[in-house]
Amino acid sequence: MKILVPVKRVVDYNVRIRVKSDGSGVELANVKMSMNPFDEIAVEEAVRLKERGSANEVIAVSIGPSKSQDVLRTALAIGADRAILIETDQAVEPLAVAKLLKSVVDAESPDLVIMGKQAIDDDSNQTGQMLAALLDWGQATFASKVELSDGAVTVTREVDGGLETLRLKTPAVITTDLRLNEPRYPSLPNIMKAKKKPLDTKKPEDFGVDISPRLEVLKTAEPATRAAGVKVSSVSELVEKLKNEAGVL
Amino acid sequence: MTTAELSPVSDLLAADPDTLFGRARDAVGKAEHILTLAKTGVRARVEEVGGVDAAQHVAHGLAWLATTVEGLRQMTAWAERLNGEGRYGEMEKLLLVAALSEYCAQIAGGIPMSQVEIIRPEALGVARDEIRAFEDAVADLVAVGSSEQVKSRLATLIADQQGATTFGDSGLDELLVEMHEQMRRFSEAEVVPHAHEWHLNNEYIPLDLITKLSELGVFGLTIPEELGGLGLGKEAMCVVSEELSRGYIGVGSLGTRSEIAGELILHNGTDAQKQEYLPKIASGEILPTAVFTEPNTGSDLASLRTRAVKNGDTYKVTGQKTWITHPVRADLMTLLVRTNRDEKGYRGLSMLLVEKPRGSDDNPFPADGMTGGEIEVLGYRGMKEYDISFDDFAVPESQLLGGVEGQGFKQLMNTFEGARIQTAARAVGVAQSAMDLGLRYALERNQFGKPIYSFPRVANKIVMMAVEVMVARQLTYFAAREKDQGHRCDLEAGMAKLLGARVAWAAADNALQIHGGNGFALEYPISRVLCDARILNIFEGAAEIQAQVIARRLLEGAN
Repeated sequence: MKILVPVKRVVDYNVRIRVKSDGSGVELANVKMSMNPFDEIAVEEAVRLKERGSANEVIAVSIGPSKSQDVLRTALAIGADRAILIETDQAVEPLAVAKLLKSVVDAESPDLVIMGKQAIDDDSNQTGQMLAALLDWGQATFASKVELSDGAVTVTREVDGGLETLRLKTPAVITTDLRLNEPRYPSLPNIMKAKKKPLDTKKPEDFGVDISPRLEVLKTAEPATRAAGVKVSSVSELVEKLKNEAGVL
Repeated sequence: MTTAELSPVSDLLAADPDTLFGRARDAVGKAEHILTLAKTGVRARVEEVGGVDAAQHVAHGLAWLATTVEGLRQMTAWAERLNGEGRYGEMEKLLLVAALSEYCAQIAGGIPMSQVEIIRPEALGVARDEIRAFEDAVADLVAVGSSEQVKSRLATLIADQQGATTFGDSGLDELLVEMHEQMRRFSEAEVVPHAHEWHLNNEYIPLDLITKLSELGVFGLTIPEELGGLGLGKEAMCVVSEELSRGYIGVGSLGTRSEIAGELILHNGTDAQKQEYLPKIASGEILPTAVFTEPNTGSDLASLRTRAVKNGDTYKVTGQKTWITHPVRADLMTLLVRTNRDEKGYRGLSMLLVEKPRGSDDNPFPADGMTGGEIEVLGYRGMKEYDISFDDFAVPESQLLGGVEGQGFKQLMNTFEGARIQTAARAVGVAQSAMDLGLRYALERNQFGKPIYSFPRVANKIVMMAVEVMVARQLTYFAAREKDQGHRCDLEAGMAKLLGARVAWAAADNALQIHGGNGFALEYPISRVLCDARILNIFEGAAEIQAQVIARRLLEGAN
């Protein structure tokens, strides 16, 4: 069994996000970038399936600037076997990513795609679903448990009401939730080995996919700062303010 | 200050990188000239008074001057290398000019050997007109790098990068950058949340964490692959030590013991000793401890008294050892003893590889002829320090390192370069942790309606920490690369350790100052980092010994 794991390079989750002074987007210069945490969970899950003998190859793929190689090397250090970078400096939207991933799936014929449920930069939560639709494969999103059996996969999903268990025929697309696993720290020997694993670089044009954006960002702004509160001296004053100032009563 | 006076600042900052590098190289050349004059001056002084010891103040001053000049040289080389790789940005430029400015100003005006011992070039026999000429030659750099313009911009960039692995590009290659990042993640998640509690309770670093470090490959970093290690160089060791020490100096120091024992055995052991011990040290199965120091033998190792008397095929060891780090949980001691009682100096010393059972707080040394007690300490906890007494403690003769007596001192000296480089890296990590804590507090603490970071006296402290941490880091990596290339580097290693320890103490002291009264409370982690930073100027060669070693080398004609 072959597993494809798409990974995205995003602003590190520890970084305080700043808006560019001209409002055209988020400041990325001099900002620490790392692998989208949900994708890291996806890599870990795929590698665990391989270690358990359920899979024999894990391929990591990323779409983005050449620096995305760094997150692919991290995926290789965790245990992926090889990597593909589809290099572009253009911003890519979920549909374009899904189309590119479909092309990779067509070329590689994996039995399973495991990917993060969303990227922490734009929080779209769309790519996995779009990819499943384009491929006409089954999908199980927000996975908190994944079990493989012959020709099928059983996935526990975290839904509002509790846990939902789905059984899908493979091939299928699975998107990972936070509690699926705790990714390992790559060991120093594995970081060294990752350097020697194959990493192919391609361009969107190689797949004939049009990645031009369909959306236009009009403005990016900081959230409004919270105004200072006031102290009230009595309950009646509180009620009065809630009625007349806040207008909630 | 008028705008006319400010304009050279903007000119130099706006100039293309090559122009600035040209100025930097020129400043380094001028500083080297001062160093040459100082060498002549100090050499004359040493001859006049009949030896380095009688002229210690100026001899050590020369060591500090040479260290400062090397710092300038390495910062310039770092910036040029980054520029060649397209990695030189605004942050790196500002760190470079700030470092050039501060260290050039110190060369002319006085370098702090300690807070109360400032060494000025006049004292080193440099003529006043030469000092004046140097000041004039670097005046523009000093003005630019110390300007509020540079400091406030650096302050902004630093605040924007809070949580970064390094403030400014480390200059490491891709593989080491990745190792740096991953060690940092590990340290942040597994070490930082617990370090303060371990310290306050004087607890051991949990064995469970040591197991995780073993799995990451920390203990076999520099041991050859065929003996179970990773076969990496000292630069990799620096990166790992730095990040683990940034979490907790005790964790960063676990590797020091393996490093010293590993080097001793690798370079001096018999084949059987290498095969027996190195794979187990690399895997973390064996935790080693270094047993050298005695109550009356600290820096002056040649006067060591613990004796090993051979009786048949066994040595019987008798004597007192002290300041032994992590001996209770250690499995293997590298024990320095006197095997030849007739030879009073260092030629009578030998190194034994001594296996021992692990003990506990209640029964620290469950072995015949070995007893000891804990030395309670201010900081650098997590492994525990002990006094140890040996009384007819039996060691099989096969455990003599290298199988030949009288080699102990030489064998040990050969590990000093590596141990000092590693200690310099620990200092960089501790300094960085102080900066991390100071920065976070300064951004979160509000007074007078704004974060205290917006006050220049607070932010400038953080800025100078970032500058000096980068100088100490580049000097450390330089020494490591020299070692990796097989060059003699006792001079460079000593300089890196000397500067790193001063930088770490200054960073910890100033980060605590930023915390105000809260920093004085045991509850705040900066109180621990202050205690931990203090050891760096003492162990692995006290600052004064380090300066002495550097001075001797400079005066004998090296560099």
